[in-house]
Amino acid sequence: MSSTLTADRRMLLAHHPIGASTGYMQALRGDWPALVAQAVELSPFAVELSVLSESEVQGLERYLEAEPALPFRYLSIHGPSKGRTMAERDLVASLLGLAARADAIVMHPDTIESPEAFLALAHTLVLENMDAGKSDGCNVEQLARSFAALPHAGFCFDIAHAWSLDPSMGLAAELLDAFRSRLRHVHVSSLSPELHHIPLTEDDEELFMPLLERCLDVPWILEAPPREI
Amino acid sequence: MEPSPLERLAQACGQEFKHLMAARETTARGLEARRAKITELSVQPDVSVVLMGSWGREEVTSGSDDDYMILVNGAWRPEHEVDPSIEEVAKVLDVKPGREGLFGEIAYSDFLEKRIGLQEDDNNNLSRRMLLLLESQAILGEQSYRLAWKKVLDGYLRDTRKPRGAPRLLLNDIVRYWRTICVDFAGKQRKRRGEGWGIRNAKLRTSRKMLFAGGLLPVLECAPLTPEEILAFLEHRLRMPPTDRLAQSFLDAGAHDEGGRTLGAYDEFIGLLDSESFRKALEALTRDNAAASEEFAEAHRLGGRIQSGLLALLFETDTLPPLVREYAIF
Repeated sequence: MSSTLTADRRMLLAHHPIGASTGYMQALRGDWPALVAQAVELSPFAVELSVLSESEVQGLERYLEAEPALPFRYLSIHGPSKGRTMAERDLVASLLGLAARADAIVMHPDTIESPEAFLALAHTLVLENMDAGKSDGCNVEQLARSFAALPHAGFCFDIAHAWSLDPSMGLAAELLDAFRSRLRHVHVSSLSPELHHIPLTEDDEELFMPLLERCLDVPWILEAPPREI
Repeated sequence: MEPSPLERLAQACGQEFKHLMAARETTARGLEARRAKITELSVQPDVSVVLMGSWGREEVTSGSDDDYMILVNGAWRPEHEVDPSIEEVAKVLDVKPGREGLFGEIAYSDFLEKRIGLQEDDNNNLSRRMLLLLESQAILGEQSYRLAWKKVLDGYLRDTRKPRGAPRLLLNDIVRYWRTICVDFAGKQRKRRGEGWGIRNAKLRTSRKMLFAGGLLPVLECAPLTPEEILAFLEHRLRMPPTDRLAQSFLDAGAHDEGGRTLGAYDEFIGLLDSESFRKALEALTRDNAAASEEFAEAHRLGGRIQSGLLALLFETDTLPPLVREYAIF
């Protein structure tokens, strides 16, 4: 009996709160009511509204300006990490507007040119660790520099990104050791050989769980749909 | 001296709780000063003077009140037969009684211990009993206070029949107290037309929640113990400040990181509460203008983290979830 209970508890979907990133719902991109409806199907408690491309920011602004009734207790917005043409201060102004409706604004540290522009986001700003395809924001030293420049920023722990750099999970443990007091939420998925987020595999779930168990008090955001059970 | 659970958690999670540690030092200095002043009063052997609230939690900051009661260890007797008197203690502490008549009054341990439940256990009796058990410190008549405190604890435990298990009467009263605080929050909001809404709401999300969890967890953790062990366990655990009780629960559950973030958020709140401008801003807030307040946003943010940490401890660690399921709902 007790071993069954333990196994159930360790399942990813047993965590609360868990939430979906709309980033993986590519077929619905731009249709915010539909994206939110699909996210609610996974969990009405947490969500990450993803505007990975700068061109999507305005659509999300319009959607949130209409003050839709959202059920989420924790709402994160993933800021743009590609297609950046906007002046950084204009982007920050847009993000500040979005921040009024959000608990967190996630940014990739390697995309931030002038950290001082992002100081205005204060505690709402959350920096994510990067994957093996990036040259900055990946390890403790690089992220420590970003946090030194943005002292109020929180930490979004992307466990698959850490795995891509060190499959032994040593780096993942180092990142948690260094930034655990800043931890705000976790990105959960597996990665394809091309470093695209894919549903968490059973093997990765087992590998990741000891580290995820250090993150029980924060939302876990799925960056890919849950695997078929 | 052996490190406290809070200090051990700080070490385990690589964080320092500097505001909480500073508040403990402020509390210790303040208690020493008040004990030195109040010794000038004559005290009967069955009487003690007890400070509650942030004094009992060892979280005194610059804005803390001297909420006190005179505690008689025994049956009711006329007020004029109790030494020291309310006026004498109020003069030494330079305080006024609270609005709801909870503080600055004489309490009798017989009422606290024997009137558990039913009509006679009114809001004040329940609140005094819980404050005594969960967040109190004597500044005069320490021995009498200890005896009364233990008598009240015994009042919950003496009818236990089962060989093991969490003490349900105490558990139910702690839950009842927390829910009473929450309901009274709404009552005060209506009675005072929103005056002081911001500071009360902020404390409900933080200090009050920590106090509730700091009472609930030790009682749940009694589940594997015999009645004799429960008495000894609770005497030890409930004499700790609530932040130590919670730190110990996080340590016992192996949830060091989660404990660090939870106590870290509370530490941040205590640091903010020590700032007069922060307190004044919250005190001036009503429900209607809270949304525009940076101070309220801070309290809300920190309260959310505290709640998430406590829920993770209760529902996602190894040993506590079965106890929560068994005892905490029905």
